[in-house]
Amino acid sequence: MNDIENNMNNIIEVKSLGKNFGDLEAVKNISFEVKEREIFGFLGPNGAGKTTTINMLCTMLKPNHGTASVNGYSIINSPNEVRKSIGIIFQENTLDEKLTANENLLLHCRFYRVPKKERETRIKEALNIVELSDKRNKIVETFSGGMKRRLEIARGLLHYPKVLFLDEPTLGLDPQTRAHVWEFILKLKEKAGITMFLTTHYMEEAEICSRVAIIDYGKLIALDTPDELKSKVGGDIIEISTLDNKASKKEIENKYNKEVTENQKILSFKVDKGHKFLVSFIKNFKTPIKSINLRRPTLNDVFLKLTGRQIRDEEVSVRDLMKKRMRMH
Amino acid sequence: MEEIFAIWQRDILRFFRDKARLFGSFAMPFLFLIIFGSGMSGSIRSLLGGADTPSAMASFDYVKFMFPGIIGMVVFTTSIFSALSVVQDREFGYLREILVSPVKRSSIAIGKVLGGTTIAVIQGLLMFVFVPFIGLKINLSIMIKLIPAMFLVAFALSSIGLLLASSLKTSAGFQMIVQILIFPMLFLSGAFFPITGLPAWMNFLVTINPLTYSVDMFKKIILEADKLDPLLRQAMGLNLTVLGHQVTIFNEALFVLICGIIFITLATVKFSRSN
Repeated sequence: MNDIENNMNNIIEVKSLGKNFGDLEAVKNISFEVKEREIFGFLGPNGAGKTTTINMLCTMLKPNHGTASVNGYSIINSPNEVRKSIGIIFQENTLDEKLTANENLLLHCRFYRVPKKERETRIKEALNIVELSDKRNKIVETFSGGMKRRLEIARGLLHYPKVLFLDEPTLGLDPQTRAHVWEFILKLKEKAGITMFLTTHYMEEAEICSRVAIIDYGKLIALDTPDELKSKVGGDIIEISTLDNKASKKEIENKYNKEVTENQKILSFKVDKGHKFLVSFIKNFKTPIKSINLRRPTLNDVFLKLTGRQIRDEEVSVRDLMKKRMRMH
Repeated sequence: MEEIFAIWQRDILRFFRDKARLFGSFAMPFLFLIIFGSGMSGSIRSLLGGADTPSAMASFDYVKFMFPGIIGMVVFTTSIFSALSVVQDREFGYLREILVSPVKRSSIAIGKVLGGTTIAVIQGLLMFVFVPFIGLKINLSIMIKLIPAMFLVAFALSSIGLLLASSLKTSAGFQMIVQILIFPMLFLSGAFFPITGLPAWMNFLVTINPLTYSVDMFKKIILEADKLDPLLRQAMGLNLTVLGHQVTIFNEALFVLICGIIFITLATVKFSRSN
């Protein structure tokens, strides 16, 4: 991280936040900060407490203990000021499908008291960014799933929020649409300098974040940049096949003191910071190498190491499917 | 203020766009008025008939009698069902967009009630399309008195609807509760038959039913009760008496207004607390 980012203010500060639903402790004593202009990720399986935390930060839910401030305003004492400073893209569609895109956007301007003079310009601008200008006066019911998502993002920006919360923003979308949506989100971050707070259980999305917080069973179990988190796992994995695997195995074990496993003629072993290790390894390796592969750990590997479980398990996929179906209607 | 207007306008816009609903809103009253009403008309006439019926009674026209009750029914059902939009918004997500914005909860409640009220009054007025078919004479002074009365009634009933909507999670649940409420409230209001000679327990329900006073208000205005022959007046049940006092139109208007204020306050409080 460079110096400029280090000196950025905290736009969100969370202190010992907790929430119970009856006996269930959904969120247990979470504390962290989000810096201005970063893309902050919340990664964890379904039921981990991500949505509950976001709901508290958005003032939709009152915490049972602890507090947080967003844009300098307390979520407990000044919820209205918090609401003015934030935009939210929910998991479910929250557009009014019987109205046109323009009507949806105009309503939003009214709820957030966007100055009348600015409404037309901002609506045009938002539609432009998400490339829906030609659909301005079409009824939202006629839009595809991806278009609806884009419209929701456009809507969330109209009042120029300081923080944009995205709760599983691309859930249920096909990979291509997901890529498009992310393109817009990143374009936006550059243009408007918005801070983004994202929850997801898609690894690829978490990788884009400046920093990722890993949540499990309501607890914060790790917080760092994706790279740092991955290197803490105990390294990258190098997979190598050579002309003489037996000799290679000995060489690696003796020279680098690594445990080498062999699987179908491929040797693999773990290293720290593989991208740094690789160059000197290849230079100094005696046995001719046929193929070499540096596999970086994913955040799922990080989660696995920390909790012994995968982020995406069977149960999660079924819920995803249900959510996807709900979005499609 | 603009937020209240925005919420109100959204409901109006959605109402006019929903062609099916507009069309369907005519069907029920039509069925009641034309089919049920005309059918009953014949039987009632023969029941009242006979050689020594006073001439005033003989001119009792059941369909005319029913018309104010039909207006009441339309205003009632529209008001309650407009609150359905709140439940649907909660189910299908739009309510979250409103709740997460800086709009005050009370503004949301007021906007919804005003929206429901407006739509109910519009629907009620649309019923006047049937007037030429049933031979009623409607003049301007009737309309001038009727519109505020309809507004008051719609306001009270929309508030009741909103209170229900804030308490129920699904639109299926809401519709079920409403069905259970609608029929007793309608039938024990004097909309379809004069509420005289009812057993004591029914009389009690009639007395506490806001719809009774609402329908009676409409009857008094539309049928021009003060110009009617006293016998006819009695037969039509226009001499509503509660606890020994003859109820005037102003009593009724006041009662409905107070109902409205109580329920909108309750609804706003409930709405502000729920998620």
